[in-house]
Amino acid sequence: MSRAASRFPWATWACNRLGVVALACSGLAAQAAEPPLLHTVQAPHYGDTLFHFYQDHHFTALTSLMVSQHFQRLSPHADEAEILRGGLLLTYGLHHEAGDIFARLITQGAAPAVRDRAWYFLAKIRYERGNLGEAADALSRIQGPLPGQLEEERLLLSGQVSLALGDPARAAVELRALLARPPSVIEPPKTAGVAAKRSIFSRIGSWLLDAVTFSFARDPEQRFSTAPAYARFNLGVALIRSGDVAGGKALLDEIGSASMPDDELRALRDQANVALGFTALSQDDPEGAALALERVRLKGAHSNKALLGFGWAAAAQKKPERALVPWSELLQREASDPAVLEARIAVPYALAEVGAVGQALSGYQAAIAAYAQESTALDESIAAIRSGKLVAGLVERNPDESMGWFRALTALPEVPHTGHLVPVLAQHEFQEAFKNYRDLLFLSGNLGDWQEKLGVYGDMLATRRAGFTERLPQVRSKAAELRVDVLQGQRDKLAAELGAAHAAADGQAFAGAAEREQFARLADVNALLAAQADPARRDPSLDEAELAQLAERARRLQGALAWQLAEQLPERRWAAEKALADTDGGLAEARVRDARLAAAQKDEPARFERFATRLAELGQRIKALQPRVASLTVEQQKALQETAVASLQIQKERLAGYTAQAQYAVAQLYDRATQRKEGERAKP
Amino acid sequence: MPVLNSLRALGLAALMAASALGWAADAPAAAASAPAPVAGLDTRVQEVKADVVRLNRDLLVLEEELLFPASTQVALFVSMDVGKLFELDSVQIKLDDKVVTSYLYTPAEVAALHRGGVQRVHMGNLKSGEHEIVAFFTGKGPHDRDYKRGTKLKFEKGSEPRYIELRIKDSTGKLQPEFDVKVWQ
Repeated sequence: MSRAASRFPWATWACNRLGVVALACSGLAAQAAEPPLLHTVQAPHYGDTLFHFYQDHHFTALTSLMVSQHFQRLSPHADEAEILRGGLLLTYGLHHEAGDIFARLITQGAAPAVRDRAWYFLAKIRYERGNLGEAADALSRIQGPLPGQLEEERLLLSGQVSLALGDPARAAVELRALLARPPSVIEPPKTAGVAAKRSIFSRIGSWLLDAVTFSFARDPEQRFSTAPAYARFNLGVALIRSGDVAGGKALLDEIGSASMPDDELRALRDQANVALGFTALSQDDPEGAALALERVRLKGAHSNKALLGFGWAAAAQKKPERALVPWSELLQREASDPAVLEARIAVPYALAEVGAVGQALSGYQAAIAAYAQESTALDESIAAIRSGKLVAGLVERNPDESMGWFRALTALPEVPHTGHLVPVLAQHEFQEAFKNYRDLLFLSGNLGDWQEKLGVYGDMLATRRAGFTERLPQVRSKAAELRVDVLQGQRDKLAAELGAAHAAADGQAFAGAAEREQFARLADVNALLAAQADPARRDPSLDEAELAQLAERARRLQGALAWQLAEQLPERRWAAEKALADTDGGLAEARVRDARLAAAQKDEPARFERFATRLAELGQRIKALQPRVASLTVEQQKALQETAVASLQIQKERLAGYTAQAQYAVAQLYDRATQRKEGERAKP
Repeated sequence: MPVLNSLRALGLAALMAASALGWAADAPAAAASAPAPVAGLDTRVQEVKADVVRLNRDLLVLEEELLFPASTQVALFVSMDVGKLFELDSVQIKLDDKVVTSYLYTPAEVAALHRGGVQRVHMGNLKSGEHEIVAFFTGKGPHDRDYKRGTKLKFEKGSEPRYIELRIKDSTGKLQPEFDVKVWQ
């Protein structure tokens, strides 16, 4: 399989489906200097959908695709269009509808490879949405190995589902299968040129891959598959959970000490070391914990946890002065971070251990004050969230015109103590809920736009209807003036004359106006010549010889004219017949127009009525949806706020716990001091 | 050491809750939390999304039938086959000597055309009979030179919708871009 196909597993299928030459599928195309031109889109409207899709205008892509399906103008790409529609619906979370599409493709005889991929994508989205049982069901329906990297993704997903279902032993088996596979290299996606042109449908594949992992920001330039590393990590966790602590720790240690090619995997290495460190701490192995935790980078998502754990490892080794180093570093960091909050009481604890009781007391008191301050700040943050500032600010600062596509929240809103929001915003639940909220805002705007448009269309229809009513009498009057039946009678009369002339071979019947005038003049001449026979009417200036000469000239002229007409008879007859045929055509067209006009008189009002009915019906649907969307928007906003508030409440509870610990420690220190003083007094 | 023990307990609990999250890492977001359970609200939001998508389809169908009836409908498309020899900037299209569209492309649109997208650049109405389409493409040709080329075609419009695709192709023989018109049947 080509690298491109391995990066975009759908490419192979797409190539087969489209009958694209084997060159493209084999990967040789990219090496060919001047490959043959191919134009893979065989229905312009499907290309139009792709045009929007490639620009991330997914809502437009989806709706235009559905419209083209309605008008049945995608036939060469019917299956691909359905898969694209299913994928787009999946990104909107409409997995039931998408599932119906995939199921239909399966029942309609889609290739097993298509079916397997369909189930994989369904499993992925179900897992993301927390439908673990349905995800496992979808995974179980995959019959064959998926191509390239997708198979790694499938094995990883199987392991994740088993872990989430509380079956680490099964997860371990599945993840081991992933580790047994050779590592795959990912081909970076092409953005232009021949290869990109060829991989139209592989783009769909890559998008569908992205679609189901929409909550993760994939690096398009990423060259290495990260799946085995994640599998190794998850397998380590699964083994520890299933009781094979040594095996699990060995795997985590392997990741924790490996050299990683990019930031994403370096973060995973940090996470492995943190997991390893805290596992060791829980097993009273502070040395092992310190070894793992000191491998974590000082700056990174897991550095605070590592510093805290490293301090505990030192404390457990009876080295409180060493523990003070990482914990003091923590105190310089973001105050709302859980590790930093914990460090506030860890530092005085270490100070007390080294005998600096006064400093320890001050430290505890400072911690209690800081916790109180932080608790107040959390209350302010909660109040700000409940007032709607968080959600409104997020929407304002992270605008998005599209729907259903996860966008990273890059700008925090202007609310007090934004530091509290960072962990909240990172939560999967919050991100999903925010995506829904933003989608609802988009839907609200969409419905509003259509409502305005429908008003315009209603006016347009009314104008058309009025124009039709106004113009109809004029058109009917003009049509009546034509009097097709009278014209038909005239035509029939002419046809009869033509037939008679044809039968008699009468050339004179086909004479033109000039020729008829010539015949008339000759008739006058002959009449004059005949009158010369009457002595009373005879012209005295003409003698007999001149009269005879004139008669002869008239006879010759008549003969020449008759000969000319006889000569041109076939040609003139053909022209006359053609003119008759044209007349027939004209009359037929006039009749058709007449019929159309009659039909329009009858049908057009009905057509206007049908449009008006549809406009009204669609207007009703908009009106019915608007309150639903509005109510859900409010509900979603509240849910979103409560998710955030719940997270902050947990932070508050944690603070209360720390405060109690600090107060207890202060009391203990006072008790010890009192006991010491009493002991000193009791001394003689 | 009760304080130490309780602090360690707190520390582990806090860290488990706030970071490792049950240890398992979702690829590729290692720190993602466990999947959320499906809520009633979520289901209702998905239902309303589906309803609005279906409504949009019906509205677009109505819009097309109302504004561009099949008997008079003509749709013009622009596509690019390979397109290595021409960087498209804009297109101007005339139908029967009347400018129906002048379109300036964004980089994202050009990229979408390169990937195989086909842009519906104009949709309108024409009477039955013979018509002429003239299109002018401007952009950068080979060697980064300004390039403007036109193409025209006479076509017959009947009672069915007419789809016309203006295609930009590379002529590997001439090392020049080519422009032609395809009338879809």
